[in-house]
Amino acid sequence: MSDYLDGRPIPAPSRLRFLVFGLAVVLGAGMLSTRLFAIQVGGTTPYAAFAATTRTVQEALPSTRGLIYDRTGEPLVSNIASYSVKIRPSDLPESKRSAVVETLASLIGMDPADINVAIDSNPGSRFDLVRVAQDVPRDVAAFLAESSSELPGVEVVVETRRNYELGSLFAQVLGYTGPISGSELLDLKQDGYLPDDLLGRAGVESTYEAILRGQYGLQTVERDAAGREIQVVRTDRAPVAGSSIRLTIDAREQALAEEALSWGMKAASLKQGVIIVMNPQNGEILAMASLPTYDDNAFSQGISNADFQKLLDDTNKPLVNRAISEVYPPGSTYKLIAGTGVLADGKITPLTQLRTAGYLTLGGIKFRDWNDRGFGMCNIYCGFGNSSDTFFYQAAAMLGIDRHGYWGKQYGFGSRTGIDLPAEASGTVPTNQWKLDTLGLPIYPGEVYLAGIGQGYVAVTPIQLLNAYSALANGGTLYRPYVVGETIGADGVVTKVQPEVLGKVNAPPSVLQVMRKAARTVVTNRMTFNLVDLPIVVAGKTGTAQFSGKAKNLPFHQWFVAFVPKDPWKTASDPGGMKAVARTDSELAIVALAYNSRAKGNAATEMVKYFLQLHFGITKDYRNFNLMVSRDRRR
Amino acid sequence: MSIVSARSSRPNRWTAARVSVVWRNFDLQLTTYAALLLSFGLAMAYSNTATSGAGVFEGSSVFLRALMWTAIAVAVFLVATTFDYHWLKTFAWPLYLVQLGLLAVTLAIGGGVGGTSRWVSVFGLQFQFSELAKVLMIVVLANYLGSRVGRLGSLWALIGAGILAGPPFVLVLLQPDLGTALVFGAILVATLFMSGASLRWLGILAASAVAAFPFVWTYVLADYQKARLTAFLNPLADIQGTGYQLYQAQIAVGAGGWFGVGLTNGTQNALGLLPVQDTDFVFAILAEELGFIGAVVVLGLFVALLWRVLVAGWRSKDPFGTVFACGVAAMLLFQLFVNVGMVIGIMPITGIPLPFISHGGASLISIALALGILQSINIRQGRAEW
Repeated sequence: MSDYLDGRPIPAPSRLRFLVFGLAVVLGAGMLSTRLFAIQVGGTTPYAAFAATTRTVQEALPSTRGLIYDRTGEPLVSNIASYSVKIRPSDLPESKRSAVVETLASLIGMDPADINVAIDSNPGSRFDLVRVAQDVPRDVAAFLAESSSELPGVEVVVETRRNYELGSLFAQVLGYTGPISGSELLDLKQDGYLPDDLLGRAGVESTYEAILRGQYGLQTVERDAAGREIQVVRTDRAPVAGSSIRLTIDAREQALAEEALSWGMKAASLKQGVIIVMNPQNGEILAMASLPTYDDNAFSQGISNADFQKLLDDTNKPLVNRAISEVYPPGSTYKLIAGTGVLADGKITPLTQLRTAGYLTLGGIKFRDWNDRGFGMCNIYCGFGNSSDTFFYQAAAMLGIDRHGYWGKQYGFGSRTGIDLPAEASGTVPTNQWKLDTLGLPIYPGEVYLAGIGQGYVAVTPIQLLNAYSALANGGTLYRPYVVGETIGADGVVTKVQPEVLGKVNAPPSVLQVMRKAARTVVTNRMTFNLVDLPIVVAGKTGTAQFSGKAKNLPFHQWFVAFVPKDPWKTASDPGGMKAVARTDSELAIVALAYNSRAKGNAATEMVKYFLQLHFGITKDYRNFNLMVSRDRRR
Repeated sequence: MSIVSARSSRPNRWTAARVSVVWRNFDLQLTTYAALLLSFGLAMAYSNTATSGAGVFEGSSVFLRALMWTAIAVAVFLVATTFDYHWLKTFAWPLYLVQLGLLAVTLAIGGGVGGTSRWVSVFGLQFQFSELAKVLMIVVLANYLGSRVGRLGSLWALIGAGILAGPPFVLVLLQPDLGTALVFGAILVATLFMSGASLRWLGILAASAVAAFPFVWTYVLADYQKARLTAFLNPLADIQGTGYQLYQAQIAVGAGGWFGVGLTNGTQNALGLLPVQDTDFVFAILAEELGFIGAVVVLGLFVALLWRVLVAGWRSKDPFGTVFACGVAAMLLFQLFVNVGMVIGIMPITGIPLPFISHGGASLISIALALGILQSINIRQGRAEW
């Protein structure tokens, strides 16, 4: 029976080989049981001991984030309790994910795509919670907490969130907090940051992150078999609450600045504008408004990707703090540089007269003055006071580009002021070396002319311009501008921020005094329309600038940068205000930028004027409401 | 005692006469051990469901699904037992094509975690065809080697078997599923060895496999596969990363002690610390909840089952039966050793399910099919007494 068809017997199975197989079975099972014994009973591996420690887990104990006050102590930011929805990806089976995300999205009124993005961009491991929604209404939170079996992996936690009391008023300055990203977590993990942590994303929330955050603590928590917290066993390290900070900005002053700015923008049909107010004596920022802006609360409540994208795509860049992050050609305001330079370098005296005209010709090209007829023979007061372009072409040419650049840098242009806000731009001061380095070409003579009137390659931030005129106002000291005046520790200890000197403008005090008087002449010459009629003394410089380029209809930006001496009210003994501006005691400097202005007058001057009216409580209204029809198109 | 007589489905080459079906030769022991292991699996499914917070009898709970698969598996086992296994020899080649087809379909339309294609949805249930392919592989090899017993001394028999096992091996490797591919390898080696293949050539092949290892390591294995393969050497090195599962698994095992913490009381289970606690790492939960005693009982049941499988092979007068039984034994032993070894840290992490205990319909049904065929072999040896 047991043979092949050809009659050969089928060999019986090999006894030896079956023995070997059986032995393998016994050996295999033996090895497994031996190792099991070692782990479970023998105590030769540490794992049994680890099991006990897993029931008590160490958890971070978040610290209270410091608050932010305005100059007068009014709270600008508070911490309020809110419900957050988080997901632990490891508890969310892949097969159920889309259904859970759909359900969750409809319950909390989110876009499912946003939830998926949050889960997928989770910076931690699959076992860490990912925040998918903040500020969920109480009833929704309660419902979610009860339906945990239908929504595996979804958890509701109570967190504090930042509430920005004044909404958009301080948005650019305060910034907001947002979730940490994967790469940030890598850097910050050793500082105690958690995968679902929030951190300051813009403004002082970002620059003062370390101070506001404090130090997270550690606690040991005992959990039951189902993972619920039974009790806190002990606090291993108490959290240290973050320090609070007090801004140098007064909320009232900020509101005035924003009111002046938004009025001017509306009157001149502008899309973007900036006002910064500063104390030249120490660099304190008193107001900083950049419009359009956004509401910080949108971020602290957890902004949807669609809304965030809308802010990013807005051509008027509401998220950008134009006061420090964007560069513009300074136009005639930059004539301060060539003016200070030619006087300090002894090229001219305050009495030297230069011939101004409708234009100068250089290399066959006409370099025009804004005034077709020129101003005839003109000294520095006449040149600066009338903003004569041909005067400053010559002044710049006397200095040469490198010396002109030197004076630009003396006033702080070309490098960041170091203000305590993120994303500051540094601007450009053209020199021979700079152009060789960036464009590989030497400076042409015509470009020296253009630099003299703040055109061409020159690019500045509004804060740099304000800081330069503040230095002029205070007698030549360049301070680091700052918005945080003091920090208040959790223990109540107040630490004042000391003013920091960046440098001194290397010009004799007499030269700076001449330039201050020349700046007053700008106002008395009615280059600033009726600003001179105000009952206070104001000195400053207007500017109208165009980004360089051949196209005809490039946008014009209108500037006005001004300072007001201490005790600014006009007196009989000093009707022109020249004595007042000769002093170096100014405590108020202001810059206004009207971006892409087609106003016939200078919209920036109007904004400054309105701000000064509001600031000094001048009841008579000097504003010019016909910005779009005036023929005044001066530089 | 009744002897049921039946006509052989087909007069076969070496038994011209009818084959009697001797129900007395139905191996009750083998069935009992399998049923006990199955109940351990159900207990673990219950525990897993109860601690996940969901109702045990709710909707599509792990436990309900396990009950359903068990019912199907019992049916498959009974059908396979009553089915005359001789037909398998007749249809070995078509079955081989079916096997390749299943694996190709899996590769083409299959789904899986993280870009792999390991399972196919059948009526809304995920089914891993590679599990079924393992049993079909055993059938094909048993037919090929069984019909050549006594003539397997040459290298050509080895090459022939290798050519048969090669395509399924590669198809599974492409999914990619290294663990299942290794099971194919274990089945091939064991069936060759037990069918009397030349030891000399087997030895040479084994030596060349060892020699090829560095090449495979460098050029074939993906980084994540290497990381998983080496993590067991030092699980504490990367607790949050590749060593995480292993670390948590061993904590669970260690927490078990002599008698375990009791069903549904496992902390590692409840805290959801084990990522694939209901599949590949289920033995860790078993060891925690039922302790050393429970774990050893399960191991003992496996040894007893393997013993009955090998006995079936030994007693089979048909070489097909002998080789088939050895293939099944090799599959069970390899999966047992690699899965439990992985959980307790003496084998690399490969993702091989533990027969009977890991929750997975395909695995259970494939084993039921294999054991059913084995019983069919037991009762169709054409003799009344052993």
